[in-house]
Amino acid sequence: MGKVKILYVDDEAINLMLFQANLEKKYDILIAENPFTGLQHIAENKDIKVVVSDMKMPVMNGIEFILKARLLSSEVAYYILTGFEITEDIQEALNQGIIRRYFRKPFNIQEISREIENTITDYYEQQE
Amino acid sequence: MKRLKFEHRITALYLILGALWILFSDKLLGYLFSDIASLSRFQTFKGVFYVVTTAVFFYFFITKHLVKLRNTEKELENHKQNLTQLVHEKTKNLDEAIEALRKTNEKLNEKNKIINKQNTELKSTLKALKEMQFQLIQIEKMASLGILTAGISHEINNPLNFIMGGLTGLQNYIRESKIEDEKVELYLKSIKTGIERATSIMNGLNQLSRNNDELNEKCDLHAIIENSLAISKGQWKSNIEVIRQFAAYPILIPGNVGKLHQVFINLIVNAFQSIGDKGTVTITTETQKDKAIVTIADTGCGISKDKLSRITDPFYTTKEPGHGTGLGLSITYNIIQDHKGTLEFKSALKKGTTVTVVLPSKFI
Repeated sequence: MGKVKILYVDDEAINLMLFQANLEKKYDILIAENPFTGLQHIAENKDIKVVVSDMKMPVMNGIEFILKARLLSSEVAYYILTGFEITEDIQEALNQGIIRRYFRKPFNIQEISREIENTITDYYEQQE
Repeated sequence: MKRLKFEHRITALYLILGALWILFSDKLLGYLFSDIASLSRFQTFKGVFYVVTTAVFFYFFITKHLVKLRNTEKELENHKQNLTQLVHEKTKNLDEAIEALRKTNEKLNEKNKIINKQNTELKSTLKALKEMQFQLIQIEKMASLGILTAGISHEINNPLNFIMGGLTGLQNYIRESKIEDEKVELYLKSIKTGIERATSIMNGLNQLSRNNDELNEKCDLHAIIENSLAISKGQWKSNIEVIRQFAAYPILIPGNVGKLHQVFINLIVNAFQSIGDKGTVTITTETQKDKAIVTIADTGCGISKDKLSRITDPFYTTKEPGHGTGLGLSITYNIIQDHKGTLEFKSALKKGTTVTVVLPSKFI
């Protein structure tokens, strides 16, 4: 079993670098500096299991990006990162099961890693 | 006058007729009769004739007079009746006029009452409007503050994220490199503490800036007090000890998260500011039936009795110009009232002040 593929979308380059640097040993990390590159990655990599997206980005916010991404791949676990308090959009996405959870910035990488681990375990249990 | 005249006339007539009769009747008889026997017989008739004639005469005379009198009397009676009726009618008219006046008066009184009532209503409306205006200014202020803090918090959270990510990377690197150094541990811990503190202030600001009028949010009282303490750090001098006597269980109450933050920040900052050299602020939380009770007791300068009743008035302040707007407690009071709670102050000069906030804890 190879490393699980994770996509992280954020308009802040440093966040992308740090996320990748901190988690690349455990996972195969794809990064995208904007939602369009993100959608391209999803289209090209059907084996992406987890997508983590920043909420506030230019052109399209995290939820809008995830709604588009779901059309390409529905088997993915989606997460939102936000520097704000929980908004109505996020609450709605949580209620509808579009995203599994949301994380507050500054985020704790260990916490996110634990959550991804659980998701993958769930996923493989379902496969079996 | 007439009556007198009539009496005179009748007496005079009687005297004249009597005198004439006495003077001429015997002479007449003397002409008519020469014999004594006839004369004597007619002498008797003459008396009878006189009596009958005068009787008839008086009968007509008196009757005529009496008829006149009776008519007059009747007329008088009629007149009197007319007068009585007239008086009656006039009295009735007067009564009606008085009644009408009384009614008008009553109406006027009622109108006066209505005017007075409207006046009172206008006054209270004016007062309410003034309060509303004041609150609108506050809401406007809070709204712009909300936008500002939300913006700041997003912008600060990203760099905090860099530091956090960098720290995680460093921690992993140090662990993997098996570097064990007390100082390195201290440095890393300091960075972590810094991030945590900055994050808690950002969270507090975020909570505070949540701007809505919802009064049924689930408010965690202990979290709100902790946030308020974190935000009030600027006023928390090192010589002030905060003692938390919180209930052992979480207290969740319905309310507005942002506004309750405002309440406790105001009360905590006031408590901090009241303490000069050294002192303690004791925050106690408890629940009683359907009520949550928070007391904030400081050992500060206290408030004198005459000032105590005015501290929730808008723009009333004892602080130096530029150090307080005099709005804090007024806003606090209004927010607590919106929450159907109560705010109570007990104070003794140079001993300290105890503020008791009671809020309903039952969710509807």
